[in-house]
Amino acid sequence: MTDGPLIVQSDKTLLLEVDHPDAEAARRAIAPFAELERAPEHIHTYRITPLGLWNARAAGHDAEGVVDALITYSRYAVPNALLVDVADTMARYGRLTLEKEGFADSPEGTRLVLRTTDRPVLEEVLRHKKIKPLTGERIDDLAVVVHPSERGSLKQELLKVGWPAEDLAGYVDGEAHPIELNLADWHLRPYQQQAIDGFWHGGSGVVVLPCGAGKTLVGAGAMAAAKATTLILVTNTVSARQWRDELLRRTSLTDEEIGEYSGARKEIRPVTIATYQVLTTRRKGVYTHLGLLDAKDWGLIVYDEVHLLPAPIFRMTADLQARRRLGLTATLVREDGHEADVFSLIGPKRFDAPWKDIEAQGYIAPADCVEVRVSLPDGQRMTYATAEPEDRYRLASCSDAKLPVVQQLVARHRDEPTLVIGQYLDQLHELAELLQADVITGETPVKERQRLYDAFRTGEVSTLVVSKVANFSIDLPEASVAIQVSGTFGSRQEEAQRLGRVLRPKGDGRTAHFYTIVSRDTVDADFAAHRQRFLAEQGYSYRIVDADDL
Amino acid sequence: MPTPRRSLADDIRGRSDSELTDLVLARPDLARPSPADLTSLAARASTRASVQRAVEALDRGHLQVLEALVIEGGDVGDRPSTESPSSELDAAGRRDSEPGLFTLLGVESTGDRAVVTGLVDDLWRVGLLWRGDDREHHVVRTVPEVLGPTVAGLGAPIEELRPSLTPRHGDPEALRATIDAAPSPARAMLEKMTWGPSLGVLPQERAGSSSARWLIEHHLLVPVSADRVALPREVGLALRSGRLHRDTVLVPPEVTTRAVSLTDAVAGGSASELLTHLDELAAVWGAEPPRAVRTGGLSVRDLKATAAALDLDLDRSAFVVEIAYAARLVADDGEVVPVWAPTSEVDEWSASEAGHRWASLALAWARSTRAAHLVGRKVGSGLSAANALGPDVQWPAIRGIRREVLRELASLEAGLSPDAESLRERLLWRRPLRPASVLSDALDAVLREAEWLGVTGRGALSAPGRALSDALPGTASPRGRTGTADGASDSAGRAVAVAMSAHLPKPVDHVLVQADLTAVAPGPLEGSLASFMRLSADVESRGGATVYRFTPASVRRALDAGWTAAEFIDTVRRSSRTPLPQPLEYLVSDVARKHGQTRVGGASAYIRSDDESVLETMLAARELAPLQLRRLAPTVLVSGADPRVLVELLRDHGFVPIQEGQDGSVVHAEAPRRRAGSRRRAVPPAVSPVDADFTTTLVAGLRAAEASADERRAVEESRPGPRIPTTDPVVTLSLLRDAVAERHGVWIGVSDQGGGVARHLIHPRRVDGGRVWATDEGGREKSYSVHRITGATLETP
Repeated sequence: MTDGPLIVQSDKTLLLEVDHPDAEAARRAIAPFAELERAPEHIHTYRITPLGLWNARAAGHDAEGVVDALITYSRYAVPNALLVDVADTMARYGRLTLEKEGFADSPEGTRLVLRTTDRPVLEEVLRHKKIKPLTGERIDDLAVVVHPSERGSLKQELLKVGWPAEDLAGYVDGEAHPIELNLADWHLRPYQQQAIDGFWHGGSGVVVLPCGAGKTLVGAGAMAAAKATTLILVTNTVSARQWRDELLRRTSLTDEEIGEYSGARKEIRPVTIATYQVLTTRRKGVYTHLGLLDAKDWGLIVYDEVHLLPAPIFRMTADLQARRRLGLTATLVREDGHEADVFSLIGPKRFDAPWKDIEAQGYIAPADCVEVRVSLPDGQRMTYATAEPEDRYRLASCSDAKLPVVQQLVARHRDEPTLVIGQYLDQLHELAELLQADVITGETPVKERQRLYDAFRTGEVSTLVVSKVANFSIDLPEASVAIQVSGTFGSRQEEAQRLGRVLRPKGDGRTAHFYTIVSRDTVDADFAAHRQRFLAEQGYSYRIVDADDL
Repeated sequence: MPTPRRSLADDIRGRSDSELTDLVLARPDLARPSPADLTSLAARASTRASVQRAVEALDRGHLQVLEALVIEGGDVGDRPSTESPSSELDAAGRRDSEPGLFTLLGVESTGDRAVVTGLVDDLWRVGLLWRGDDREHHVVRTVPEVLGPTVAGLGAPIEELRPSLTPRHGDPEALRATIDAAPSPARAMLEKMTWGPSLGVLPQERAGSSSARWLIEHHLLVPVSADRVALPREVGLALRSGRLHRDTVLVPPEVTTRAVSLTDAVAGGSASELLTHLDELAAVWGAEPPRAVRTGGLSVRDLKATAAALDLDLDRSAFVVEIAYAARLVADDGEVVPVWAPTSEVDEWSASEAGHRWASLALAWARSTRAAHLVGRKVGSGLSAANALGPDVQWPAIRGIRREVLRELASLEAGLSPDAESLRERLLWRRPLRPASVLSDALDAVLREAEWLGVTGRGALSAPGRALSDALPGTASPRGRTGTADGASDSAGRAVAVAMSAHLPKPVDHVLVQADLTAVAPGPLEGSLASFMRLSADVESRGGATVYRFTPASVRRALDAGWTAAEFIDTVRRSSRTPLPQPLEYLVSDVARKHGQTRVGGASAYIRSDDESVLETMLAARELAPLQLRRLAPTVLVSGADPRVLVELLRDHGFVPIQEGQDGSVVHAEAPRRRAGSRRRAVPPAVSPVDADFTTTLVAGLRAAEASADERRAVEESRPGPRIPTTDPVVTLSLLRDAVAERHGVWIGVSDQGGGVARHLIHPRRVDGGRVWATDEGGREKSYSVHRITGATLETP
């Protein structure tokens, strides 16, 4: 029995005591295969999942290494069953491989083959109802032909039955296009370079970096490595513009080389930035813009915010398996549980850095999270008590009692760039009037949005009231205070985004503030509890104060 | 020995005390009930039941030698003691009488021969063989009966099948020649029957039947019925080139092992986990006992709920539940609607030291005849799957398998983990007559359970596991010290407990509380802290550590149980190694703020009146004091008394109340913690062990009996008077009556209080009421009970 920093639990979670002298070494040892689930101040929880183990296998780690890491750092003896399970699970990856056979110039051309080293495995999966139709003629005992168009679906199905295939079939080079990074006045941070290398050597896959850690630059770096025509898929038009600006500034690409493919414009250029929305637009049940995917011989496809990737894009991605794919995200956690599809269709995780680490490196401002509880006035309490359940959240989160608190907080941080975030438009407009600030909602035209953002950036405007649209992929470098008055029901992913807003690097290293205003004894407080838990699990200290004590 | 040995009885009478002790120890059934003397011991040793038992206990090596001896005995049986001159003397000076035996077993090297000789000695020791004067070994007559008509797949001898044939047809050389001359289809037919079964069905088609005819004509096959043929023993042996078994395996097959480390630490971890599971089971079932289904088990739904509460899979929860039952920690409470509840023994058990707790579980497991792995499987003829705690899980064979496995594990060096398949081979070798299917799932289940228990760690027997194995009867090495019986196990339990205590993770006295409202106990918590944490927080993750989460509901639970917010915070603060996060304090005070805002109480009757002064009067009335009236509101009083009593009493004292309907009185009671009465201890079968001490006494007793029988016989011979035959009481009575009538003297035998038979010459006067009055040899008048008279004969004049 050693006195290690790690405790292995029977539910396959690993508890890491952070203050232990060996904690850092243990963290490094387990990071490749265990997903960090919670990172509160003293004990971090990692989880061993099949996906995590397969991610590790894809990154070249073997079962012995994993077992060794567990045994070396574990405080108590590790149950044998768990070690056996780890070894078994890892051994499943790579039993099946997708390979390309033949030569392009031979008369038969090349063909895609599902090959195994272990005949029973192939027999087992071929007997599967959903897998059988995806394969073609049997070559021999150990191999079967796969139609190239089924490459993605096959990988998806194989993962579902627990035999993930290693995709060794390679990628098409795509149409070459010179792209260089323009490193005159900046340079890639070390972890960004690691992320780019990790992706490039892996072929396809996902890079996980927190908001503000420079995911766009990782994308640019990957493009410079590929030197090929690139399709970039982003969440919305604002985000597309920001990608465009960033690429113009950081790379050798010129305005003429970058096209925007959105609701407003339909340009197809060597580097094309398209929104998810336009790709998923349907007319009479047909995806009208699907042609974009084949419009050019793309050498690289970049998916921004992979965790928001809509389901139809997954289906389209299944057909793009011959092209290099880079996924960028702040979190692999998907509210819809489609983590496995990300693994099989975009690729395994190629790089991951926990938020706290990057913060410690000084790239992200530390944040002070405070929950402010307000009491509903008696009249509203009665209204709330008698309201229908579906109206309760709205009633609680839109309480008037919140207004003076917001006002007070804004006044306290008078000269700091402040965002007031909410879900309900009435409430936002009311607040805007009270604070004499501008509102940005989904209805605000793109131009107006851009103008306000620019003004906010320059400091001309110090307070903005924003709705849900602000959650995703906007870049507000100088926001240092966020006040959340209402939000979707305790979504973890939303919380990550909101925190990201205020965590962008600050010029002077000030502490960022994140306030949540909550009505006491209502569902609002229950949802707030979910969000706080998430924050605490991410390692941010938070406090609860009563509005009267502010 | 002066008397020649002609039977097992003679052999046994000739054995030394230590040899007899060995015999009785190896076959304890011979000693129950204690035999009167060596002759009856021998008789018992050759009964079919006892021989069957002894043969079934043989391992493959001994069995093969015994089979060979049976076959060989049949071979030489008709040539009594005309020993072939080629017999050699072995090192011990004993005549090597087994050349045929060695051939049958295919044993050539001197080393292997020594092994065979050793096995033969063992068989003699357990009384399946007896030695004649010539030191030739003879198989006890019952053995061939027990082995059945086909021994090792060989058929009956030719002369039994067809007595008319001359011995020439059994001659191996001649047979060999005939076989060599057989046409190839006939040869193929013979080869199919070579290794058994020795009976075949005659082929119908032409080619086959002609081959068969050829074989029958040459007496290589003997027809036994219209369409069946048998392969005679001699032919079978010739086909097998004189060998009896295809593979002779005289020594146990090797168990392949691999070295593992940290065995004891892993075992300690598993043990600690199991103890936690049982604590939780007791807590969960104590609060909400699941119903017992009509057949006496636990319903599948309740097992699933228990599994969810313990965060285990179904198999493992079934194991936990069954072991709790085996250790008498849970029981059916026997009420009208029976439920499974922790027994009153749980509290004492929980309070005892961890090692001791484990020991009681491990011993219960080893002694239990319940097979938890059958839960959820269809057993026997049952239509539905077996329920945990139900009768279908009872399977006595599992206990033997557990002990065999433990014994095999104990025979390996510490830190060696056996390969399951080779262990299976070894167990099959140990008990070749047991159907192989018995082991199919059971072996894996036993190994799995041993790992869950901590009897093994990473597959190798742990030190506590070894202590357990030593504590069990029959699992210690056969020539070493014998284990104690099930009953006298306190000291054994202590040894097991001590062995485990050293390897259980050290209990910790603190938790680490974090801002996400979790508290992590980095090891098993000490008793009082553990129960506080279980009460005030929900368990989120188990294993080496425990992760607790404080939730509004869990905090409320603690407040409900009587903790105040201040005590709560104080306890957590004292137990936490880390500063208390502000959100936790906030949570506790927030819950406490709302706690008790509304009050609920019990009352069985109320009095309401719009006239407050009437109620004032009632409160003030001294004679109404027994009603214990309380005022809840200006116009409402309540009482604990029954409404009817209330009404009556009020009327007696001049008030004029009216009784209202029952609706409106609400009774809340705390759910009581259920405890079933202690599970009735089935009186354990009183197995007093047939151990060395007992056997020594027994053998001494047998010797004494033997000696005294001889002595009695001698005394009997020397006595005066005629031999008195044992006569039927009816005969005795009529004889006595005749004697009264004719005034004859009569010799009678009278059994005395010491059990001896005294002889008297009497002259009967009268016979009446079952007694006879007579004058004895000395002329004294005496009476004797007729039922004490063993026999009577007239005095010969």
